[in-house]
Order: sequence, then C-alpha cells, then structure tokens
Amino acid sequence: MSLENFTGGRYPLHANCFDELVAADGNARAPATAIARFIDKHGAAELCTRQLQLNQTISDMGVCFTLYAEGSNIDRAWPLDVIPRTIPSSEWQRTSAGLKQRLTALNLFIDDLYNGQRILKDGVVPAELVLDSKNYLAPCQGMSPRYGVWANICGTDLVRDEQGTFLVLEDNLRVPSGVSYMLENRTVMKRVFPELFADSTIVPVDDYPAQLWQMLASLSPRGEHVPPCIVVLTPGIYNSAYFEHSYLAQQMGVELAENHDLLVEDDKVWLKSLRGKRQVDVIYRRIDDIFIDPLAFRADSVLGIPGLIAVWRKGNVAIANAPGSGVADDKVIYAFVPKIIEYYLSERPLIQNVETFLCQDPLERSYVLANLDKLVVKPANESGGYGILIGPRSTQAERTQMANAIKDNPRNFIAQPTLNLSTAPTLCDGTLEPRHLDLRPFILQGAELYCSTGGLSRVALTKGSLVVNSSQGGGSKDTWIINDEG
Amino acid sequence: MKYQLQHLTEYLYQHPVANSYNLACLTPRDLSYQEVKTTALHIYPTGAEVSQYQDYFGNIRHFIHLQAPHQQLSVVSHASLEVLPRRNNERLQSGCSATQLQSYLQHSKTAAAVYAKMLCQPSSMAPISAEAGALLAPLRRQNQTVLELAEQLNQYIYANFIYTPGFTTVVTPLSDVIKYRRGVCQDFALLAISCLRANGIPARYVSGYLETQPLPGQPRLQGADASHAWFSVFDPELGWVDFDPTNNLLPCQQHLTVAFGRDYADVVPLKGVVQGSGNHQLKVAVDVVQSA
Repeated sequence: MSLENFTGGRYPLHANCFDELVAADGNARAPATAIARFIDKHGAAELCTRQLQLNQTISDMGVCFTLYAEGSNIDRAWPLDVIPRTIPSSEWQRTSAGLKQRLTALNLFIDDLYNGQRILKDGVVPAELVLDSKNYLAPCQGMSPRYGVWANICGTDLVRDEQGTFLVLEDNLRVPSGVSYMLENRTVMKRVFPELFADSTIVPVDDYPAQLWQMLASLSPRGEHVPPCIVVLTPGIYNSAYFEHSYLAQQMGVELAENHDLLVEDDKVWLKSLRGKRQVDVIYRRIDDIFIDPLAFRADSVLGIPGLIAVWRKGNVAIANAPGSGVADDKVIYAFVPKIIEYYLSERPLIQNVETFLCQDPLERSYVLANLDKLVVKPANESGGYGILIGPRSTQAERTQMANAIKDNPRNFIAQPTLNLSTAPTLCDGTLEPRHLDLRPFILQGAELYCSTGGLSRVALTKGSLVVNSSQGGGSKDTWIINDEG
Repeated sequence: MKYQLQHLTEYLYQHPVANSYNLACLTPRDLSYQEVKTTALHIYPTGAEVSQYQDYFGNIRHFIHLQAPHQQLSVVSHASLEVLPRRNNERLQSGCSATQLQSYLQHSKTAAAVYAKMLCQPSSMAPISAEAGALLAPLRRQNQTVLELAEQLNQYIYANFIYTPGFTTVVTPLSDVIKYRRGVCQDFALLAISCLRANGIPARYVSGYLETQPLPGQPRLQGADASHAWFSVFDPELGWVDFDPTNNLLPCQQHLTVAFGRDYADVVPLKGVVQGSGNHQLKVAVDVVQSA
C-alpha cells in the first residue's frame, strides 16, 4: 500500500507528539491510507457534509451523555469526530495481550488482599497504602467470587508517548463507562462512511455485548445448566451513564433494574415482575460499592438493596464487579501494578506505566512540590478528571492550593510528568487540526479473558488541551483496528 | 466470674412496616479470657429469617430479615459466659518500646503485623487528627513501654474529660469531644484510638458490657446496665491489651467483650432498614447478672 501525502501537506503536525494517522514526513500511516485517499478525493467540504450527517444520525439515534455541572444535569448529544483513529491489528494484538496480563494480575492481587494478604506480608505493596484506601472494604474479607475474579469488567486508559508507545494511564475497576459509545460510534460511522467500510479491512467491534453476556453468564451460581437471570443494576435516569446502562441491557437482552425492582428474600435476590418473582443470578451493577447495600456499607444510600451483601456472602448471587474490587482502582496502587504483575505472574509487564511519583514518600513529595509547574497532579480516588492539576497550564494560585492539599493529605495525591499525548487529525471549523487523545479498551474476565477490538478513543476538542474526559467536555473518535496481517 | 447477659433492643413503629433487614453484632465472642457457654438470639415477631456468620474481625454477626408487616421488632440476645482474670496490670512494664513496635511493624511478615498496620490507619469514626495526636506528647517518659504510655493516656482521659451522658450522640465528631472535653464511653474510646493511631500505635475499638454494682443498701435494678466500649492496644509480645478510659482501669473480670472493630461503625449492636412510614421509638435494656 503506498503512503499518501496527508491533506496536501497542510496538516500542522505537533512537534514532539506522535500522530495516530500522519507520519513525521507528512504521509499517511499505512492503516490510514484509505482515509487519506478519501480526503484527497473529496476534500474538506465533503468532510463537513459528512460531519453534519453524522451529527444528525447521533441526534436521531438519541446517543447522549449527561454532564454534571453546578448542581444541574445537562443532557447533550454525544460528540463524535468524523475522522476515525486507526491502529494496525498486529500492534493491537500485542496491546490486548498486555491488557489481559494486567487484569489477570490485578484480580490475583484483589483476591489476595481479601484472602491471605500474602503480598502485604511480603511487603511488596505497603499494607498501610491498601488498608486505608477508601475502596478497601473490610466486610468483603474472606469472600471468594467465582474463578477468584473480582473485577470482571475493566476499562484501562491508554496513552501514547512521543515515540508512539502505548502506556497505561489508569485502570478503572469500579464501574467503567464508555463501551456503549464505542459501539454506537461504529454504528454511526458505518452509516456515514459506507464506502470506507466496503473497501477496508476494519475489524468489527460488535461482539462486545455477546462477550459481556457470556462472561456474566459464566458467573451464575446456579451453573451452566440453568438459564441465568442477569440484570443491569442502574442508579437511574439521573446518572451520567444511564444511556449506557439501558443500551447494554437492551443489547444483551437482559433486564434493566433499579434497586426497587429487586428484593432480598429467603437468602436470594429476586426481580419483581408482572409475572411474579424471578430469582436473579447475576447483577451487573453500575452503582458504586458503598451504595449497593445500606446495611453493609453506607446506611444513607437510597440506591442500594438491603441484604444484598448477605446473599452474596452465601454465594447465591454474583455481583460484577464484585464489591471491594475498587481497592485496586486507586492511583497510588496503580504505581505498584508493574510489581504486582511480576509478583503474581513472574512475567515482565507487556505495557508500561506512566512514571509516577507518590506524594506519600517524603523524597518524592518534595520533588513534586518543587516541580508543580511541570507535573500533572491527581487525587488518588477521584474519577472523571475531577480535581486534577495540569502544572504547565496552571496559575500560581492553583499551584499554591494544590501544594497545601498535598501537605494536608499526602497519601491522597500522585504526580506524573506532563505527557505529550499523541494527536489525531480532527475536524475543527472546517479544517483538520491535530487534537490530543487517549484510548479506553474494555477487558472482560470471567471463565475466560476477552479484550475489546480497540476501544473508546476520547479526544480533547480544545486546541492544545490534554483533558479528554467526557465529563470535562471531551469528544470521541471511532477506533479502527485495521487488519495488516493478511 | 460467671454472668448471665441479656440485651433487649426494641423498635415500636407508628405505622406497620414490612421487609425489615437488620444486621446484629450482639453475641459475645470466645476469647482466651472469656468462655462463652451458651448464646441465643430471640426475635419477635417470630418467623424471621436469620443467618449467622463470622466477620473479618472474628465477631459473630446475625443477618435478620422480617418480611411480614409488623409494628414492633424486639431482638433479645442472651448469653451465659465466664470471664477469667487477665493480670494485665502486672504486664505493662514487660511490653516493648515505641521504637521496637515501629521496627516490628516495618519488618514482620506475619498476619498479626498486617492486621496491626490496618489498625494504625484512620477509619470513618476514628479519623487521625493532629489535635488528638498531640494529647500523647506530654505523657511520654523515658524507657516507657507502649502499654505504659497507653495507660498514661487512659488516666489522662479519665482525669480531663467529663463523663456526660446525652452530651454527644453516635455521630458527634471527635473534634467536639476534644473541644468540650465531654462525652461517653464510646467517645473516650474513639478519642484514645485516634490519638494512638496518629502516633503510629495500633489501636482497636472494643464493644461489650460492664457489670455495675448497685449503691450499698439498694436493690439492683433490672435493665440498669448499658452497652460499654473501651479500646485495645497492640504489643507484639503480649498481643492486644485493653484499657477503659471511662473508668480509668484495665478491663478484667467486670468487662464482658462482644466484638472488636476499627471503630464503632464496625460493631454497631443492631442496625437495619425498614420499608414504611411514620415515626419510631427505640428502647434498649441491658442486664448483666452474676451467676453462680
């Protein structure tokens, strides 16, 4: 396949950033050839037309996302850029092997923490860092979910460094969101670019709901001979990911339930329906740990099901992800994942971490405090991009505030170098400009391991911005794994 | 010392309620210094589903589900047990120093050390505050064992804090207890725990009962006793040693142990969720009676 000069050499590549579609010499990378040809043939005006068609399709399909801002909820159409992001399948094979390795090790770690605590006794991960985590749940001690797997669904955020190497930015093991947008992005793109799908070898993504169902079914306590009753447990319509909850339930053909649809009785969980009660085998819960049972955790939770944990403890219902699995979803624990992989698997990590400084450590803390203008500082237990300081873009006042916060509670902060995240051409006001992006693949573990084909690419729509989180106004791209292996 | 124990918790509801889910931590546990001979949990109305399990701290828990509509819920825990002498007073000097304790926590690879490290961490009701931690500094002496230091703290709290029932509730923050120097047994135990943990010393919460003696010449009143709480400090050689700051003593044969936890939240005697409306009334009565 010949390389083509991308948009006539007018695409302003960022220095020191890897571009997903365009090589340093201005030519399209091999997997992006078909896209480059399309742009050369039809021009930017046609891209704008397709973007309008795309926006209309999203609006017709009702693909939306909720922003929490200033105490109100704002529904808005899901933002999808017309230019996809491409990755060669050979590279994706290696990457997904690394992601599966990582989730396998993390699950061994969580199971160990709640049973035996070998890694803490050996001092590989300091006990004090784990046992004071908000996500460590003592009532889960001694539990052993099926296959010893606690985090059945994981969304791992990947970024590329300047050389184009994938690095793990964080592991989301609580209730990771975004997979429905990965699936809907593909549906929309197929409608808007039928000719590209006819000509290229884009690997399909649409087996995810079937894989998710199969994984959940493999957790059923009644075994494989009884058709399992699976429900998606949602906090309700005001949750920012409600679209995804209903979408996944519908795609899998299972019930979407709120807490009052479920009932604990006779040591079992039941789904109330017009035809009476049905025993529930597997709950795919999209509610945070501490809200799922007011008896076991937060007493003031109105989203939970009283007695659920007692049923789970008896082994009469499976909960995915298992309560307590969030203990490994802590940015301080993240720093130890390479050691965790080596400890349990005796393997080298296939995907590296981003270099991370722990403010807990006095030496590393003084380095962080002296270099706040260069580093990205993150709270250990937040998600959605809240509470992050991006040093080079911060004001003196913001840095002083962060320095005080770190000194008050060093355990709660980590810092990382400001990365030159990779870019991809993005349609901005009628022209293609590079915008920074990341990638969230979804990895499943039950009886077997599965990794999504690509994932959700999130893009920072503001020029130069590094914040891709959807909660912070980021956009998205369809992610094309292009078969390059014949 | 042999005891018969009875602990009644009763809820009266204004309107009938249904589907009451409860978690109890009311059954005394067996310990080297406490032999539990019989236990029973009686629930009224009858027909509740009850299941028993042991939690992470080794405490005996009951999950109680009452489905039918009811206007009253009574849970009565009965136990007969024998509390043996512990002779902790004699052992305080033989414990290790603060430096030795830190070295043990850092190097030991035992489960006991990991458990102790967990009990150095802040917990929801015993947060680590500099304010609480500072109470310990004036109590330090040369060549003092950790247990002697804890004993100093026990005395200090007894001497400087006023036992004032009704001044605090289960949700009063520690900062208020320190500010007003008042509270009840639960507050004093949590204060000591917070103070010790702020200084890197493992400390845990103990819930139980105290046998009370009637005033001379007066009959013992039924239900006059109450739940009690104190704290416990870890020594690598001696294990966990109890202190009662409310009474300035080392618990011995008058203290009946129910459960251990990071703080009160881990060992709430009875908590629950019901479906219904209206107000409710709560009645608690505890009887600790010596038996032959």
